[in-house]
Amino acid sequence: MGIASAGYSRPRASRITVIRKLARFVETGAVNYARLADEELMQAVQAGDPMAFETIYDRHGGAAFSLAYRIVGTRSAAEDATQDAFLSIWRSRVRYQRDRGSVRSWILGIVHNRTIDALRRNQVHATRRAGAEGIEEREAAAELTDVEAFRREEQRRVRAAIETLPEAQVKVIELAYFGGFTHNQIAEMLHEPVGTVKGRMRLGLDKLRRELAGAMA
Amino acid sequence: MSAHAEYAENVGAYALGALPELEAQVFERHLMACEECQDELHRLNEAVEALPRSVAPHEPPPSLRASLMEVVNAEAEQKPVPARRRRFALPQLRPAIAWAAAACVLALAVGFGVSELGQDDGSEARTLSAQVDDQRVPGASASLSVSDDGSVLSVNGMPAAGRGRVYEVWVERDGDVEPAAIFDVNDRGSGAAAVPGSLDDVDAVMVTREQRGGVDQPTEMPVLRIDV
Repeated sequence: MGIASAGYSRPRASRITVIRKLARFVETGAVNYARLADEELMQAVQAGDPMAFETIYDRHGGAAFSLAYRIVGTRSAAEDATQDAFLSIWRSRVRYQRDRGSVRSWILGIVHNRTIDALRRNQVHATRRAGAEGIEEREAAAELTDVEAFRREEQRRVRAAIETLPEAQVKVIELAYFGGFTHNQIAEMLHEPVGTVKGRMRLGLDKLRRELAGAMA
Repeated sequence: MSAHAEYAENVGAYALGALPELEAQVFERHLMACEECQDELHRLNEAVEALPRSVAPHEPPPSLRASLMEVVNAEAEQKPVPARRRRFALPQLRPAIAWAAAACVLALAVGFGVSELGQDDGSEARTLSAQVDDQRVPGASASLSVSDDGSVLSVNGMPAAGRGRVYEVWVERDGDVEPAAIFDVNDRGSGAAAVPGSLDDVDAVMVTREQRGGVDQPTEMPVLRIDV
């Protein structure tokens, strides 16, 4: 049986070796978490290192909070969702597998799932985005680090790709992904047949994928 | 419209998480046997994964980092063992009863099939077989190779957990369950997961299907169970 291809996590011994190495650096004060790659940090996180986890939060907490905010529409609900998601990440850290994709995608996937779950649980669809909290909304500070500049560029690229889609396709995709609505609910909202909604989702995602691939080429 | 075309219509909605639970389960069954849909889903998922990167950046308040790290630091000091133990929270059932009920379901599905397959003479390793729910994972088999410093769960003939889902391994101690690992299976239904640490005080090892990345507590009855 191909254990590696079947999703078997990194052998313990190897992980322990890396963790011991990290521990030695910490003891001598030589470790610089900021210089470690996400995947290396996650190995330390999996061993229960809160400083490594803090670095992971510093790197991805902003993107996570932004995604949660986009979904729930208020700062306070976004804070709750982000905290809930990161605590879940901390408590289930043993389950991270580096062969499943990037740490960032893994974290954002968890943030999305937990925030949509909270949204559905609290049934705040009707009231969110209508609160007065928009006044307090503040976008990220203007000074950009290289990483932030890269993220801004990435955001611009994805948005540009989305803008090439017909509006009707964008609408159903956003209602589903950021709104947490099912295709039935969306069909009802838009007064469209369910088949039309599903077709728009499929065509829209396919076009978006092709646009993104073209932008990367 | 062919059956495949009917299912294929759902690929986009499924990738976006917009299929209601029951429809998603039906689609997942089709997905297991349909390479065309698997390929399309893989392609569409590239677009779905880009969506979070399109949102406007917002700064989380410093208080969020502070309160998060307060909890994390406290837990890190208290618990050298990474996973948090959680009570299994099936609706209306207390944990011990819930897992007992789960065991009954499995027993009804396959009969009392728990048996120790083998125990190395003099060695520390032994292999235990699993009770499998043949309604939900038909044709599957599983075994647990137990040793003092860690055990390995191996499965064969398991259907894919479904798009956006993985198999999650749980260990049970005195009615408490805690997550131990997640794993996928390959196209032949084979997979494996390490169950770290000694199983001396563990009563059972179980597997459920959960959303990718895993969850804190099981959301369904186990599809397989191994009494240790």
